[in-house]
Formats: sequence, structure tokens, C-alpha cells
Amino acid sequence: MRTEDRDADARAIHKVAAGDQAAMAELYDRHGRLVYSLALRILDDQADAEDIVQEVFSQAWSQAGRHDVARGSVGAWLLMMTRSRAIDRLRSRRGQVDPVPFAEGAALQLADLSPSQEAMASTAEQVARVRDALSRLPLLQRLSVELAFYEGLSHSEIAERLEQPLGTVKTRIRLALMKLREALGEGKMA
Amino acid sequence: MNDPDDLHELTGLYALGALRGEEHARFEAHLEVCERCRAEVRSFSPVVESLSRAGAVVEPPLALRARVVPGGGNRAVVRDLRPSPTLAWLAAAASVVLTIGVGWYAAQLHARIDDLEARLAAANFRAGAAERQTADARQAADRAQDMLGVLSAPDMARVDLKGQGAAAAAAGRAFWSRSRGLVFTATNLPALPAGKVYQLWVVTPTAPVSAGLLHPDDQGRVTTVAQTDPAISPVAMAVTLEPEGGVPSPTGDKYLIGMVAP
Repeated sequence: MRTEDRDADARAIHKVAAGDQAAMAELYDRHGRLVYSLALRILDDQADAEDIVQEVFSQAWSQAGRHDVARGSVGAWLLMMTRSRAIDRLRSRRGQVDPVPFAEGAALQLADLSPSQEAMASTAEQVARVRDALSRLPLLQRLSVELAFYEGLSHSEIAERLEQPLGTVKTRIRLALMKLREALGEGKMA
Repeated sequence: MNDPDDLHELTGLYALGALRGEEHARFEAHLEVCERCRAEVRSFSPVVESLSRAGAVVEPPLALRARVVPGGGNRAVVRDLRPSPTLAWLAAAASVVLTIGVGWYAAQLHARIDDLEARLAAANFRAGAAERQTADARQAADRAQDMLGVLSAPDMARVDLKGQGAAAAAAGRAFWSRSRGLVFTATNLPALPAGKVYQLWVVTPTAPVSAGLLHPDDQGRVTTVAQTDPAISPVAMAVTLEPEGGVPSPTGDKYLIGMVAP
């Protein structure tokens, strides 16, 4: 994402916190498409995806004051909420009810786990590199990552699904993320 | 379940939100005391963010905007329609046109029109390229979605295929779901002779049914997704070498075979 958009996002979220609807529209125009696309990718259902978009922006509206722009971009924050809500809905659809400790847990509670602003600034080119690197991963590594991220399966569910030992899944996912991180790094240097 | 020494390896699962319950709690406690794991989890954040942006981009329905932004909220759109600085400058120029002369102004307008036409052509070209890219991404995403559909199906069964004869080093694995289809992957397949292609078969008690043609990469690897008829009950899966274009029933040598567990 470009620096000027990030600055504009930071200003908009500040205004949203003060109840400015036009700033809300601005955020939607900049991020609505990605939020919708991710929800649709996870849920594969247009009506459900629309509901998630509405929920995410409504959550952003009510929690804008709590978002700390120094700890991550507004776009990343919206996408994290989207992923978390979409997975919760997917799991409740499947009858799995244990909550996924993602949005509030992984990046927000542990203060120093958020990367620096610079590290989070993924450009379209870097995303393309990650997409490409993902498609080049060995099939079981890639499926492990995708089952976790897009299907919301847990460690043991992935192991069961792929008929692999827990330790193998653990190692495979870590290796896969390292390769994707490397692809992202190459993007940064370009 | 986990050897405590292996806690360091949980960073990836944690970053993807795939730890639950006790395992999640134990790893968060570990993070409090392990700087190395904290740094690794932090380094995975941009990857996770990129994953959430990596799918095909789909335009949301127009009506959704009104649901998300009740009332007001048209400013962002209006802003985009404001005249560019160049146009504003042209308007200012028009106001002094009488003093400078109509000929000069007309020449400026011609130049401006040429410029706009060139930009339009360039924009059309870019839009065409973007459309093609989106279509490619959409196709790749659909294929990935089909694969995940099979893998996450409650009725998924795994079939391991062993290399035969000339392809003793080859191996294959199929994930089959009656309701959602078949994902097949193979490694170490010998390079295809000219005019030949590999064909995947789902063998039923009555006859083998083709599940598509396989074109391995230069290292003998191939992955494919196929729809299968929910009515059939496979007893085995096989890969044969066939004439280019494929055949209705197998004729060539068998390169991979695996039995479906009853």
C-alpha cells in the first residue's frame, strides 16, 4: 500500500472515531473491495460475505478510537477482523464452535508482536510475490497453510485432514511461512 | 502432545491462528519468555497480511456501500470527480482567452485533446491487461477453492499410488470426496515421450473412468483437480501413458496404481 494512502487512512480513522460518516465512506471506498474479496474467498457465498463486510465496518465504526495506527495499518486491521469473523461464521456453519483466537489474540494482546509500520507496508507487487510463492510451495505445505488460513482449521484438524502427524504439520507450516516471508523480502528490496 | 523442545516450532501455526485451547495457552506463556519466538511471530505478520490480500479481487455489489455507510458519505466519490489541476488551469486560461487570441486557445485545446486521447488509449490498454490478470487470478483462486473443497470434505478419503515398471520412482496421492471431487498429485513421473500424455483413471467395479490428462513439469511433478460423478464408487486409481489428446478407455502402460480402501 502506498504511503499517502496509509497517511490518509490514519487521518480517516481518527475522524471516524469522532463520528465522521464521510471518513467512513472514504475507508470503505479504499478497503471495501479487499474486505469483501477476502470474506467471499473464505465463505464462498455472496450474501454471507456482504454480512461480514457490514459487520467489519460496523466494528471499525465503534472501535476506531481503540485502533493504534502506530501498531499497524488500518487495512491490515480491517482484514484481520474480516478473516476472524468469516472463519467464525464458517466454523459455526460446520458446527465447530470453539472460537478462533486470532484477531484479538495473535496481534493485539501481545503488544510487541506487531511488526513495524514499514514491515507491514505490503505493496501490490509483494502480494503478487507471495501469491506466486504460495503456488510454488510443495502441495502439502501449501494445503496446510490454506487449510489454516482460509478454512480456519486447527493444528489437530489439519493433521487429521491430511493424515499427517501433528509434528509434521507444525514443521511444514513454519517452513512454508518462512518461504513466503523470503518471497516478501525479495519484493521489498526490488 | 508436544515435546516442550518443539514449542519454538509452533510460531507458524500461532501466526495463522491455528492453535486452540491448551496448546494456544501454552504457546502464549512460552512467548512471554522467548524473545526468539516473539521475533519470529512478528516477522510472519506481513506474510499473514499478504495472504489476506492474495485472493482474487472481486467488486462488491454497489448496494453494499449504502448498507455500510448509512446516510451521507458520498464525499469520497465526489472528490474523485473534481477537475484535475490541468483542467482547472485550462478553465482559467479560457477566461483570459479574449486578450490572448482565439487561435492560440484553439491550439492549446487541440494539444489537450490529443493528450487526452493518448491517455485514454493507454488507460484502455492497462484496463485490458488488468482484466486478463484478474481473470487469471480468479481462475487460480477457483482451482484452489476446488482443492480446499475436496480437502475439507467430511467424506474425504486418501489414496496412495505406487510407481510401476518404468516409473518405479514415481509416487502419487489422491484425495477423493464423493461429494466434491478429486485432488491428485504426483512426483517423479518420467518425462513424456513426444506425442504422449499421462491420463488419470478412476477405476470403478465396471470400468475405468477418465479423470483428465496430466502434463508434469520438468521435474515430473503434477497436481490436478477433477470433478467426479458422485454416483461412482472407485476401487482404484491409476495413471497410464496414452496418445496425445487422451483416450476413452486405457490402452497404454500403467505408471501409477493405488487401491481405494473399502
